[in-house]
Amino acid sequence: MNNLPNPAADGNQRARSVVAQDMTITAEAATGTRVDSPVMEDREVTAEDAEDREDSAHVDVATETDAQRRLRFERDAMQYVDQLYSAALRMTRNPQDAEDLVQEAYTKAYSAFHQYRPGTNLKAWLYRILTNTYINIYRKRQRQPQQANTEQVEDWQMAQAAEHTSTGLRSAEAEALDHLPDSDIKDALQQIPEEFRLAVYFSDVEGFAYKEIAQILDIPIGTVMSRLHRGRKLLRGLLTDYARERGFRKQEADA
Amino acid sequence: MTEQDMSAGTADERCCGAPEDTDSTEAGVRLERIYHYLDGALSRSEIDEVRSHLEACPDCAEDYDLECIIRTVVRRSCVERAPDGLKVTIMERISAIRVEAGHRTD
Repeated sequence: MNNLPNPAADGNQRARSVVAQDMTITAEAATGTRVDSPVMEDREVTAEDAEDREDSAHVDVATETDAQRRLRFERDAMQYVDQLYSAALRMTRNPQDAEDLVQEAYTKAYSAFHQYRPGTNLKAWLYRILTNTYINIYRKRQRQPQQANTEQVEDWQMAQAAEHTSTGLRSAEAEALDHLPDSDIKDALQQIPEEFRLAVYFSDVEGFAYKEIAQILDIPIGTVMSRLHRGRKLLRGLLTDYARERGFRKQEADA
Repeated sequence: MTEQDMSAGTADERCCGAPEDTDSTEAGVRLERIYHYLDGALSRSEIDEVRSHLEACPDCAEDYDLECIIRTVVRRSCVERAPDGLKVTIMERISAIRVEAGHRTD
């Protein structure tokens, strides 16, 4: 991008051209997938792309124009659409609702983008909006019955998980788990009570740290850790059940 | 649970017994440690401790392997691609917001 001609390097551009020391966002933007996008009107800003990346952490949100904000949003936030959609699918359980949820979350995110502090964790910020949007709109609508039975489900599954870890022959178990079809894994995830499922998803799929998950879900870190622990044990128990149903009992016998 | 399992359990508890309130069973304590290890939530010295324990304790090593596999398959199964039109729709909605804001400030 640096070698592109820059006919529009006017006073406005120079004024925004602050030297960036904080490379956190820059590194992410540089390695992140560029999003296919509708044609932008503001080509002069796009030509400044490389410079803009360095400016990300120092952008003056108070004085930036709508066009600049929109471009910054498209460049920095839109790269997470696939990821947010995947998360939304784990929340809503169906593609149409997931799509609506992501649209709604992105619209809210854009409306609040001036409140996002450049240089902080944008991905976690987006996930927080996604989660809040989901809780406020979709969960109320769905009223999942399993929410009420959290403790029961947990006790039952805990016993199973504990039993599984003491059966021995776990190489066969591990082998069978590794070959489970994606549909089984998704089913298992959906069966975990939601508050555990989201914590596990954010940690094990998205790789968020405890602290980030605490921010996204707006709960204390200790609660994150306990939800993760419970959720993972539930998941382990369920997946082992699937593996067993799919015949690792047979493998055990053969071994 | 067999007697053999019980004795193995006692050894594990002694080796990696960092009490946590989430699940006080011996298997739970073991797993908790492995989770923290995989989550990158341990200090340097704790990491070394767990690592050398995993080399010495087949039960924990198996749990560790299983947990790694679970995380791998979960991650694998959850990678989805948003429908083709979604990004375009989002940008269209956002453009509408910009126009509205523009009218207000004018």
